[in-house]
Amino acid sequence: MLDLTRGQFVKHVIMHPFEGFEDLRWKKAGSMRIAIVVVCLLFIQQIAYERLYGFQYYSDYDKMFNIVPYIFKSFILFGTWVVANWAMCTLFDGEGSMKNIFINSAYALIPYVAAYLIGTVMSHFLIKDEYVFIQAVEIIGLCWTFVLLISGIKAVHQFSLGKTLALMLLTLVAMIAMLFLLVLLLTLFQQVLIFIFSIYTELSYRIRV
Amino acid sequence: MSGLKKLLSLVSAAAITVSAFAVNVSALETYDPYSYDRWGDAVASQAGYTAEKYIDGEMIGCGNFYEPADLFISHDNLMYIADRGNNRIVITDLDFNFIKEMTEFRYNGETLTLKGPTGVYVDQYTGNIYICDTDNDRVLKCDTEGNVDRMFTKPENELYDQSLTYKPSKVLVDKAGNVYIVVKSVNKGAVMFNSEGEFLGFYGANRVEQTAEVLANAFWNLISTEEQRSRSAKQTPIGFTNFDIDDDGFIFTVTDSQEVNTDLVKKLNPRGDNILDSLGAADMQFGDNPPAYYSIYSKNSSLTDIDLGPNGELNILDFEHGRIFQYDKECWLLFIMGGKGYQLGLFQSAAAIESHDNHIYVLDSRKNNITIFTRTVFGEIVTEAANLYNDGLYEESLEPWQNVLKYDGNYRRAYIGIGNALYNKYQYKDAMKYFKISISRDRYNRAFEGYRDEWLKENYMKCIVVIVILVVLIIVYKQLRKRRKIVYPWEKNRKAGV
Repeated sequence: MLDLTRGQFVKHVIMHPFEGFEDLRWKKAGSMRIAIVVVCLLFIQQIAYERLYGFQYYSDYDKMFNIVPYIFKSFILFGTWVVANWAMCTLFDGEGSMKNIFINSAYALIPYVAAYLIGTVMSHFLIKDEYVFIQAVEIIGLCWTFVLLISGIKAVHQFSLGKTLALMLLTLVAMIAMLFLLVLLLTLFQQVLIFIFSIYTELSYRIRV
Repeated sequence: MSGLKKLLSLVSAAAITVSAFAVNVSALETYDPYSYDRWGDAVASQAGYTAEKYIDGEMIGCGNFYEPADLFISHDNLMYIADRGNNRIVITDLDFNFIKEMTEFRYNGETLTLKGPTGVYVDQYTGNIYICDTDNDRVLKCDTEGNVDRMFTKPENELYDQSLTYKPSKVLVDKAGNVYIVVKSVNKGAVMFNSEGEFLGFYGANRVEQTAEVLANAFWNLISTEEQRSRSAKQTPIGFTNFDIDDDGFIFTVTDSQEVNTDLVKKLNPRGDNILDSLGAADMQFGDNPPAYYSIYSKNSSLTDIDLGPNGELNILDFEHGRIFQYDKECWLLFIMGGKGYQLGLFQSAAAIESHDNHIYVLDSRKNNITIFTRTVFGEIVTEAANLYNDGLYEESLEPWQNVLKYDGNYRRAYIGIGNALYNKYQYKDAMKYFKISISRDRYNRAFEGYRDEWLKENYMKCIVVIVILVVLIIVYKQLRKRRKIVYPWEKNRKAGV
């Protein structure tokens, strides 16, 4: 049964939201390489959604391009999700390792990334009145990903549904706390750098005089 | 070699000749002409008007002005200047030849003099002159000889709060002879009299701006008692500052407040309703977009005077930045000119604006002179194109808009104009290009729809054929996979039969 390659397992997991992740766990067929590719695709999708959408739809101020928000929305957000989930699951006796959480979460993201990429392509062929078709595709992708995410987290920790949902909520809280601390850390480092730099400036003036 | 040299010199000579024709007018201005792009950012532009010269009282031959306050050009091409500090009205023709000055008026046998006149208006139907005799608290209606027919003094009516002062600052008259007077202490709109001098009420009040404070007060008023309510501060609108009337009887008002954004420019119908509201007044921006890129100030504009040009253009004067903003009748920005300073074309205390034909006259009450702006070649082309466009003649406006782009590639409206013209000619693909440059997404959407329909109509058969072939290929592929005729190399070492 289920003698699939790692690549074929991706399809199996996505098409079987309820037992796919259990099979994945049982067969230990998760691939870190594929998971990383998915996260990179998420990054590309975020950029494509804002910059390559059909001209008639988007209305953002596009004179400037700053890549940092996109890095944040893909890599950093995903990374904090994984770390926060792992940190929280230890409190709930979850079985998942960080690697497995990473793989399951990334696999769960595939419908979302695919739907939004398809929507971006569609936006070049449809006019504004037909936006509802794009919207339908995007909403289906989003819901699918949500179901997969619940199922994936449930399978990786071997939790009940209620416990999984509670864990996910707590993960969100932990993510906010982590990001807050991250910002705090960055500002403090900035202060330190400014302090060092001002000492350097001061000294260089003294030496010159 | 020499042949090449000859060619080069010929080309450069031609280039110089061409550039001499396309004179960069902006180089002559004392300020940087600018305009706004799709995002409201200031971008460099060409000057639509150039400050030609200035005229002061000495040059007219009536002695220097002293803090003049108002300027009016009548239907018979006479210019009336309300010289507040010298208590007189100076009349000249449009070449600034002195005609006469009015200082003394006769009324029922007595002689009246002016005290600080700040407004003057000439009724184009009767020829009567209306003068705001501000410090005497009255408006005089007289003929050209100075015989006063009627005075409009503080109305003794319960509608007019008698504790308020009555300092009329601007006046105008409509077709029916009703007189509208802007009084600084009144915020309910213009004080309105009929031609018989009867007080009719107030006209065209501004609305109170909806701020969080206003909403909070509305909430407290709901639950507070009558007594508490009477003691709390009232939310009052800000009265408008100046106005002008067009030939159809619509009155345009401006408000010089820098604190509010509501109703800064209004177009009032005879009932007093702002009809710019139905044209989407919320999206319209008058004056400088704060923060103005080309300005050292980042203050809001203070719109102090408005004038209607011959094609329904709105010339709006900004006291704060000393700038003139010209809009066409659909309230699209055409040009911005002027600035703060001492040179020609800049202002210290811009007080009043009037226009006639292709000139704009601006009165400065601290420089005590009148600056005359004349439309440039660029201005002429833009005006022509905008007029054609506003009349719905999109295709006729194509050529002028293309000329506009030769002068100023930043002029966003030209791209929209060209795009619309091409769209009407069913050249959807080119229209899309221009709409994309001008970042007008709804127009682009329409052009794209047309382009797509056209493309589908042409390639209908091809599409069907491609789809059929694709479907057949997919079916064949699936069948082959099923019968294991196609095996990918990474599947080869799999156990058979699974």
